Amino acid sequence: MGMPSIVSTTALDKRFGGIVATQHVDLDIPEGELRCIIGPNGAGKSTLFALLCGIHAPDSGHIFLKDRDITALPSFRRVRLGLGLTFQTNRAFHDLTVRQNLEAPFRLPRGGRSSTSEERYQYALSTFGLDTTSDVPARELPHHRLQWLEIAMVLAGGPEVLLLDEPTAGLSPEETLQTARVLRHLNDDGLTIIVVEHDIAFVREVAERVTVLHQGAIFAEGTVADITAHDDVRRIYLGQA
Amino acid sequence: MKYLALLTGPEDIGQSRLFWIVFVLLVLNFVLGPLWMSEFEASNVSYYLLNLPMALGLCLLWGYCGVLSFGQVAYFGIAGYLYGIIAGNMRGDPWGPLLGEVGGLAACAVVSAIFGYFMFYARVQRWIVPILTLVLALLLETFLGQTAGYQWRVGSVQLGGYNGMTGIPWFQLGDFTFFGYSFYYYVVLLVLVSYLGCRALVNSHHGKVMLAMREDPLRTELLGYDIRARQLAVFVIAGVLAGLSGLLYVQWGNYITPSQLGLVQAALPVIWVAVGGRSKLLAVAISAYALNWITYSLSSAGNQYALVIIGGLLVVVMLFFPDGIVVTLARNMNRQALTRLLRRPGRS
Ligand SMILES: Nc1ncnc2c1ncn2[C@@H]1O[C@H](COP(=O)(O)OP(=O)(O)OP(=O)(O)O)[C@@H](O)[C@H]1O
Ligand SMILES: [Mg+2]
Repeated sequence: MGMPSIVSTTALDKRFGGIVATQHVDLDIPEGELRCIIGPNGAGKSTLFALLCGIHAPDSGHIFLKDRDITALPSFRRVRLGLGLTFQTNRAFHDLTVRQNLEAPFRLPRGGRSSTSEERYQYALSTFGLDTTSDVPARELPHHRLQWLEIAMVLAGGPEVLLLDEPTAGLSPEETLQTARVLRHLNDDGLTIIVVEHDIAFVREVAERVTVLHQGAIFAEGTVADITAHDDVRRIYLGQA
Repeated sequence: MKYLALLTGPEDIGQSRLFWIVFVLLVLNFVLGPLWMSEFEASNVSYYLLNLPMALGLCLLWGYCGVLSFGQVAYFGIAGYLYGIIAGNMRGDPWGPLLGEVGGLAACAVVSAIFGYFMFYARVQRWIVPILTLVLALLLETFLGQTAGYQWRVGSVQLGGYNGMTGIPWFQLGDFTFFGYSFYYYVVLLVLVSYLGCRALVNSHHGKVMLAMREDPLRTELLGYDIRARQLAVFVIAGVLAGLSGLLYVQWGNYITPSQLGLVQAALPVIWVAVGGRSKLLAVAISAYALNWITYSLSSAGNQYALVIIGGLLVVVMLFFPDGIVVTLARNMNRQALTRLLRRPGRS
């Protein structure tokens, strides 16, 4: 059934000294899905993203993007193959202008870009209200627009898989809702999205399936309804929230 | 049109029509200079100008790319010495100096590429780069300093230890030798081409990526760039530009000593760049010219304290204009022009 997987990992292990950050993670994301990853602080969510993007190398295990083993590839190659990441703490270029931020991403020459990725980028620019010619320094933007700016920068590169690490941290409920709508729209349009998120309201709003990480391992996986009804998940995670 | 946009683009000071009018007048002023300058004065102006390529290269590297090199003089020296060796051994051959020039610049490209490869591909931390680059310059200085004996010669050219290499040939193309006014024009042309080339570079797409790398290398890599290769490319460009200054220097004065690669000389380019403002090429060009003029005038008037004065100037500038004098002035001028434009007659 279902779509072939676009991102998958097999038995991914990562330790930092004595700390186990991920253990035996077998992730499998079908093409076109919007997956939420939840889990308590220190569960290994950001580390998993860092492994997917090549910021850290795993101690063992493999990472596949569209059936290609990318475990040994440097970050920029993975990005050019279709991964895009926004960081947990905003990393738009704060001392550059909005224009400079949006000019920075690697983009194929105009003829080589797919029209869908171009449309997604233009859609994000207009719904987020970002002006590619603005000479306002990014640091003068309010926090939510900085978050949106970083998402737009990543979309400029035309990714096929968007990895967002807590994109709504620090956003108001309305801003969170607006972000959720944009992500829903992009996903309906075919973009695969993986979101690390603490905000359960947000998860309910956007996700089809949820993966729960706990102490570096996949603890549970299922639909939002399954997960929120799961007693152990409530105990380790929702109970604390 | 596309090429013109590279020159007038937003990543350096000066986009307005007025700016370009002033710029063209300034260039004309240099071109017509010999009408009112004696050959001696023209030679002095050549000297103030010849360090600009090194300063502009450091500006690209430090101001635009965020990588501070404290050892650009290493390339200055490599090109200068190699030119001396090649042209000196080919004395009498009308194309010897050109070969020396090409050889000197090629050596700078090769050495900076190898050295930069080990730094950037090993992903050394940014703060180590100034130390490593300075060490290379000081190693070269020390090595050249002990080449005083007669055994230290290459072909017919003596390296000369701390007394330096003397009698380095003028630049020459075929039968035409450049000195006095013709050398002046040759310097003006090369400096202008260096400046416009750097300006086109920072306004190109690669220039935008340089700014991103300066701000956040990891974020930039995760926007799809091999930042190692891109930093290396800028490092090589800066090395070749420093080499160009070294060439012009030995062609101007016909000698070079190891102290040109020493600690004091190594600090000067950093000062020129910091005083004008490292984030803009034009600011660096102006301050490099002005500071070379001041240093030269002071020391040729017999003043022992030229370097102390330049150092003092650096301290004052860093305290009151941390972004550099020219950059701060340009920014304020822009702001005033903007408010004047935005202020409607009724509201003021
Ligand atoms: N670079 C690092 N060096 C050492 N330890 C690290 C590093 N990065 C993460 N860790 C550790 O690995 C574990 C997993 O961290 P990670 O940041 O992946 O958790 P997380 O699920 O993203 O948590 P949070 O919800 O707080 O963002 C934690 O114990 C953390 O302290
Ligand atoms: Mg995290």
